[in-house]
Amino acid sequence: MIAVRNLTRAYTDGAKGSVPVLRDVNFEVAAGEFVALTGRSGSGKSTLLNILGGLDHEYAGEVVVDGVRLSELNDVSLSQYRNTRVGIVFQSFHLVQGLTLIENVALPSMFGTAAIPAADQKAKEALVRVGLGEKTARQPHQLSGGERQRVAIARALFMNPKVLLCDEPTGNLDQQTADEITAVFKTLNQQGLTVVAVTHEERLKQCASRVAHLSEGRIQ
Amino acid sequence: MSPGSLSRLVKLSLRRDLRGTMSSVFGIVIGIASLVFFTALGLGVARVVQEKIFPVDASLIEAIPSQLSLGLLGGGKIDEAAVTRLKSLEGVEVAYRKMSVRIPAASVYDGDFFGRQLRMGIEVIAVGVDPEFVKADVQLGDFTDHGADQPIPSIASTRLLEIYNKSFAPGRSLPQLSGAMVTGFSFPVDFNRSMVTLSPGGPVTHTSAQIVGVSDRGVLAGITIPLEAARRINKASNADAETYTGVALKAHSPADIPRLVSDIKGMGFRVDDQERRMAENTGAAVAITTAALALLSVLICLLAAFNIAHALSASVRSRAREIGLMRAVGATRADIRKLVMTEATVIGLIGGALGTALAVVGSFALDLISTRVLPPFPFKPDSFFQLPAWLLALGLSLGVLAAIIGAFRPAARASAIDPARTLAG
Repeated sequence: MIAVRNLTRAYTDGAKGSVPVLRDVNFEVAAGEFVALTGRSGSGKSTLLNILGGLDHEYAGEVVVDGVRLSELNDVSLSQYRNTRVGIVFQSFHLVQGLTLIENVALPSMFGTAAIPAADQKAKEALVRVGLGEKTARQPHQLSGGERQRVAIARALFMNPKVLLCDEPTGNLDQQTADEITAVFKTLNQQGLTVVAVTHEERLKQCASRVAHLSEGRIQ
Repeated sequence: MSPGSLSRLVKLSLRRDLRGTMSSVFGIVIGIASLVFFTALGLGVARVVQEKIFPVDASLIEAIPSQLSLGLLGGGKIDEAAVTRLKSLEGVEVAYRKMSVRIPAASVYDGDFFGRQLRMGIEVIAVGVDPEFVKADVQLGDFTDHGADQPIPSIASTRLLEIYNKSFAPGRSLPQLSGAMVTGFSFPVDFNRSMVTLSPGGPVTHTSAQIVGVSDRGVLAGITIPLEAARRINKASNADAETYTGVALKAHSPADIPRLVSDIKGMGFRVDDQERRMAENTGAAVAITTAALALLSVLICLLAAFNIAHALSASVRSRAREIGLMRAVGATRADIRKLVMTEATVIGLIGGALGTALAVVGSFALDLISTRVLPPFPFKPDSFFQLPAWLLALGLSLGVLAAIIGAFRPAARASAIDPARTLAG
């Protein structure tokens, strides 16, 4: 499902010049696998996730996700890739204030190239899937942290992606809520979804079928 | 991005930053309102100048004798031969001869004047013209001279009637008169008599004049009579009855006028363009004032554009994460640019529409105040404003244009937002 070969990414720092974050990374994830990416702060976990998610395009090497060679995509096709092929869950949820939960979940449908029939109904179903079927008309500020992350997961699943990328998805949650969210990921993976999650959480690591450790820009 | 999604997101962001939206709209409203208001005022005043104060026919020009004759080279008096030469100039459609009554004349009126007793004496200036010159405005009879024992058909000036109604009559408690009312009115005229200079001697001819119509082409401070009547009166007093005081030349088109001016001068005659120049000068003064005020309004619109740029930049900064998220779920750079530009367009449309509406309401209000508060004065129009459809459309489009100009940079900044960086942590 995911193949990363000789991936190198460096940032330019005014004083230090080019600072490498990922060095010649080679990494593969099979379809239906649940991979936990771990490592210390600054090890390049989030950078790798951003590259897989098509959010970062400034790298050298080859990244293929679901058969799509990301380096060959322009802005429009890369946007389409983010819209349809991957779902991304962030640590800070990033819900849009002013939109209802249904509208937040259906947000990807606003940017796709093809119209999504019955988008609201589909968003409602996605909310039911993450256990928020009763609160579809609410606004994000009326929810707890755990509920917000569930909405973010529903949004990531809305376009039926084959890969779910999660960046510290339980980092802003208390232990009990983090456990609930971890259970959601486990269920989704059991349903066949490929999951790659950057995490420090032990519970999430335990759910993963494999743990890949990043250190100094390299997979150990 | 579909129009429905775009409208949903635009509505959301404008509603959420209501204060910034209102401030942006307010700037546009002020700029557009002042632009439409002052331009409409300038157009309205220019219309009054052109149609009422100086109703100049753009294709009409008057040749008058020069003050000295150039002998064989031409110039001097305008006789019948000169009229023929003027008539044959290229571009001339028709020529109308004019001959002033060359002896003094006065009118002493003592009697009923439209229901009021009036006793007054005035000096009368009479100018004879070819009947065709004022034919369109003759309402009574045929505007031809019927001899010394018949009233002289006379045309009054539309502008003289306006000055009488708004200036002369109110101060003397005299009735307001319309063109239809004065048509048929007769008054005595004594030729060879003056109230302001010593009488020139010779017998005074008592006759009367009858108004047969009012016309923009009538002489302003006097009466316009048939050419043959002027010729007859001059002949009877041994005054010059052969040469003309002027020839009005009607050109095929206004574009022929500059060449005609040059040809007339080439023949040694002068061009009486005093009224045309006054019309042009007044029109130019109105146009310059309007242009200055319009320019000021455009500057206000530019300031509004700057204000929009500022407000949208702030909005984009505060929404950086949201924009990053949109990019993360599939928005292209073009989608984000379109979103910000559409927000600005909506602001421009609302501001343009409100500004134009404010200008229209303001112009109606000022006209209402003018009707109720300002005393009547000559050429006072029913409306000081002219609001053609193109001006309203201009107000609306300029509002949108100013907003779009203002949104250019913020839209570019928004589309360049790096989602990976804004969504981190």
